[in-house]
Amino acid sequence: MQEQSETAENTTSEQKTVKKSPSFWAETWQRFKGRKMAMLALIYICFLGFVAVFAPAIAGTKPVICKYKGHIYFPALGYFRREWENPIFLKDRFRNRYPVNLKKKDPNSWAIWPLVYQDPYRRVYDNEWKGLPGNPTQDNGAPSLRNWFGTDQRGVDVFTQMVHGTTIALLVGFVSMGIAGVIGIIVGALAGFYGKWIDMVLSRLIEVVMCIPTLILILAIIAIIDSPTIWHMMAIIGCTGWTGIARLARAEFMKLRESDFVLAAKTTGVGQFRIIFRYILPNSLAPVLVPITFGIAAAILIESGLSFLGFGAPPPNPSWGTLLNLGRQNLQMWWLIVFPGMAIFLAVLAYNLIGEGIQEASDPRLRDAN
Amino acid sequence: MYLVPRLNLLLLTLSFTLFLTGCPGPSAENAEETASKSEADSKPENESNSESDENSSDEPPEVLLEPFDAPTLADLDADVKWEKQPVLDSLELLRERQSKEKPLVSMPGALKLKNTNQEINEKILSALGRLPESVEDVNWGATINRHVLADLKSTNPIMGSSSVEFEVSSLTGFGLFSFDWNFIPFAVSDTVVSWETSDDKLYDKVVLRNDLTWSDGVPITAHDIVFTFKTIMNPKVPVPAVRSGTDQIRWIQAYDDQTLVFFHKESLPTNVWNLNFPIIPKHIYEKELETDPTLQDSEYHVKYENNPVTGGPYEYEKRVRGQEILLRRRDSWYMHDGKEVRNSPYFERVRLRIIQDPNTALLALKKGEIDEMALNPELWKTQTKGDDFYKNCTKANGLEWVYFYFGWNTKTLFFQDKKVRQAMSYAFDHDEMLNELCYGLYQPCTGVYHETAWMSPKPMTKPYKQNLDKAEDLLDEAGWIDHDGDGIRDKKFDGKVIPFRFSIMTSNRPLSLSICTLLKENLEQIGIICEVKPTEFTVMQEKSRKHQFQAMFAGWGTGTDPDTSVNLWKTGAGRNYGEYSNPEIDKLFEEGRREFDNQKRAKIYGKIHKILYEDQPYTWLYFRNSFYGFNKDLRGYVFSPRGPYGYGPGFNSLWKPVSK
Repeated sequence: MQEQSETAENTTSEQKTVKKSPSFWAETWQRFKGRKMAMLALIYICFLGFVAVFAPAIAGTKPVICKYKGHIYFPALGYFRREWENPIFLKDRFRNRYPVNLKKKDPNSWAIWPLVYQDPYRRVYDNEWKGLPGNPTQDNGAPSLRNWFGTDQRGVDVFTQMVHGTTIALLVGFVSMGIAGVIGIIVGALAGFYGKWIDMVLSRLIEVVMCIPTLILILAIIAIIDSPTIWHMMAIIGCTGWTGIARLARAEFMKLRESDFVLAAKTTGVGQFRIIFRYILPNSLAPVLVPITFGIAAAILIESGLSFLGFGAPPPNPSWGTLLNLGRQNLQMWWLIVFPGMAIFLAVLAYNLIGEGIQEASDPRLRDAN
Repeated sequence: MYLVPRLNLLLLTLSFTLFLTGCPGPSAENAEETASKSEADSKPENESNSESDENSSDEPPEVLLEPFDAPTLADLDADVKWEKQPVLDSLELLRERQSKEKPLVSMPGALKLKNTNQEINEKILSALGRLPESVEDVNWGATINRHVLADLKSTNPIMGSSSVEFEVSSLTGFGLFSFDWNFIPFAVSDTVVSWETSDDKLYDKVVLRNDLTWSDGVPITAHDIVFTFKTIMNPKVPVPAVRSGTDQIRWIQAYDDQTLVFFHKESLPTNVWNLNFPIIPKHIYEKELETDPTLQDSEYHVKYENNPVTGGPYEYEKRVRGQEILLRRRDSWYMHDGKEVRNSPYFERVRLRIIQDPNTALLALKKGEIDEMALNPELWKTQTKGDDFYKNCTKANGLEWVYFYFGWNTKTLFFQDKKVRQAMSYAFDHDEMLNELCYGLYQPCTGVYHETAWMSPKPMTKPYKQNLDKAEDLLDEAGWIDHDGDGIRDKKFDGKVIPFRFSIMTSNRPLSLSICTLLKENLEQIGIICEVKPTEFTVMQEKSRKHQFQAMFAGWGTGTDPDTSVNLWKTGAGRNYGEYSNPEIDKLFEEGRREFDNQKRAKIYGKIHKILYEDQPYTWLYFRNSFYGFNKDLRGYVFSPRGPYGYGPGFNSLWKPVSK
């Protein structure tokens, strides 16, 4: 089938009358679209991506746009990087309290506020926002109109923490599996394409890496590194999670290197790297995508698990797992368990559904069944 | 029963002992922290000791005890002017105190109360914290189930290093000395006939009672004490904790089976705090000491490790590793030649149940499976207020002199300036911490000594309140200004611009983390970046000892004498983690330990307190009080500045009434 599409592409220039047959990816996408659950899951992940990107506009204490002393600023960007918040708001004793100080220091200023005035890192204090009382602390923070998902023991809004925690959850999945994908595909490709002793060496390497327990390695590394961040964690998950991908890629490459179009390419003198990356790789990607998707789900779980145990992102970074950990200390605060628990469950479920969808959509044996 | 462990050391407590996490890492860590809660010793001490022990296996062992030519007793008596010292029964002492205090409510009334404020707490303690009126009230066959956080590492009392070990050895062992809730030392009348001290405090003469026996029937003599002293000071024996303090004693000489003289190195008022150490039977341990100095490895020692010979009121009955330790009252302790020569302990059996998770322990308390447990503020405030708790249990709290602080490393560029440290104290939102994060249960701390302590300055120093304007003024004065306009304060050192960006090291516990996060938030407001770095307990110990930190959040318990804090503040002292150095403080501590007049001493330590308050090498945060849940069947709990157990009589005063 892949050969067909390849040859079809090669010959279209001469035989313009022949209708271009749909590419493999287009066919897969067609079949994927037919799977309701998988599509729903994809939409949900896109929604999470949207939430992650626009988190500061959804919930925060910094204006999305404001005019202050004659200039337009976007202070909410400070949630992504501190440097992106204009330093003008970090001096003159502005002290991170926008609602009061904007008016006090420049009566002509205006601002567009996020949908929810809450901060993921700190409690909102009395009279900070329109004279309203501050967030409830301790175990008094049950869900209310002001705090939709309640507050934790410190009085920090749970909804805001979850919105801002989406970034971590998504990043962990994508970055770690991105790393794993690159390593896994390259190792698998080399092992599968060259075979012989290279395959021998790389297969043993895969087996060695498979033996490393990710969780324990992360705990060990966190103990060693001076100031561990979420990026270290992603790197470790990525560097240990590529073995499944590599094995699948290797099998695909072994199968495809014997195929006719590769032989044709070889005989026409195409370079080895071009054969690997231009000819074989695109045709072997589909089966590899499946473990990557499942890997994303696993990575999210690992991150939540680590945060739950208190080894996750350093405080006060909001993370779903950290919230669960807070909830475990006082089971009466059910909102600390239900909402983040649901978020983790749904995200993991969505990735698994997508993975399953890709698997079934790209498997030619299942094509006729649908 | 007696306070066997060392009394004179400060202890390091890192946040709450009770916030446990379920994974193996932190729970192991917790065992360590428990150690810190013990009245005895803290982790840093054992670590340094075990290190030197490891070294000593390669090199010739250092000599810890030089031979000493003790004068004869006659010569000594001729030279020295002896002063009689008190020999007391701590229970009598408590009974005397309580005879003057009338209970504020009746016993049944107290059992109905819900402990919601301090007034009610007083009532509960006044009624339930009493000793029995008569022997008929006591259920002499009762078993008390206590809650402990970790298992024993060794049953040999001199090998103890964690709180469980000291807790158990205070029940199974005996001591010659103790101190009361006011930290006034005395000799224990159960073991000592008389105690005299020379007028220059250089010598202590003790006469033991002759009706003491080990659990195997062999009499306890002065030679056991001398043997134990020499064993503790034997460099080949890997003693983890009890050596410090004991090593301040120059020599102990037994003149006959009952008479002992302690020789001190220097004439100091603090010598008395070094006298007490756990005692082991000579006739058991002298046999293989030479061939197996570990006291634990050889078959012979393993036998006694599993079935130890004890000298105290209780002996081991059963031990299920990781689950429970069961102790039984020893008849030969209070009976001698068929006569009752000492008070019988109130409980027939003491069961120590090992439960790590606080929520699990609370369930066990509610079900009556354990009779007492320490509660953290969250449990106290949220999960012990309903009828399900008060059905079987009640709770009480008391002041405890354990303070928590932000320690600033005064050798770093950031915190070398006093003004910056003061600015930190002004920047922090103390009220938010006390009222919200600590559930309003803790009192503010302003310095090294507690307000109610005799050595605290009069008038007492005032707690810091958040004042961001003042903090910023101080930082401006100190030269930390945002020169480059990036929103972070900075200062030039040797032409290099250093931004004010530091990290604070803390243990990985919810309350520590939220307090440090609050500091981060407050400092962010005034242009300082503070990163919170949760650090594993042993790593934290290591780093603080090597001064490899910029700031840290931790806590210290109290010693019995103000002089014990010298190792926190003296230039180059072992636990002066922030490398604070002030010649005046050094001088004052030196004066304080040589001053015999108590009033003058109080003045000196008050001055130390004030200077440290001015210098703010720490930002003092709060005193952690002790909070306990008790079964309604339990009576006689009395709180001291070291909690309900860490003094005399301590645990000894607990009893259960006969059920009617």
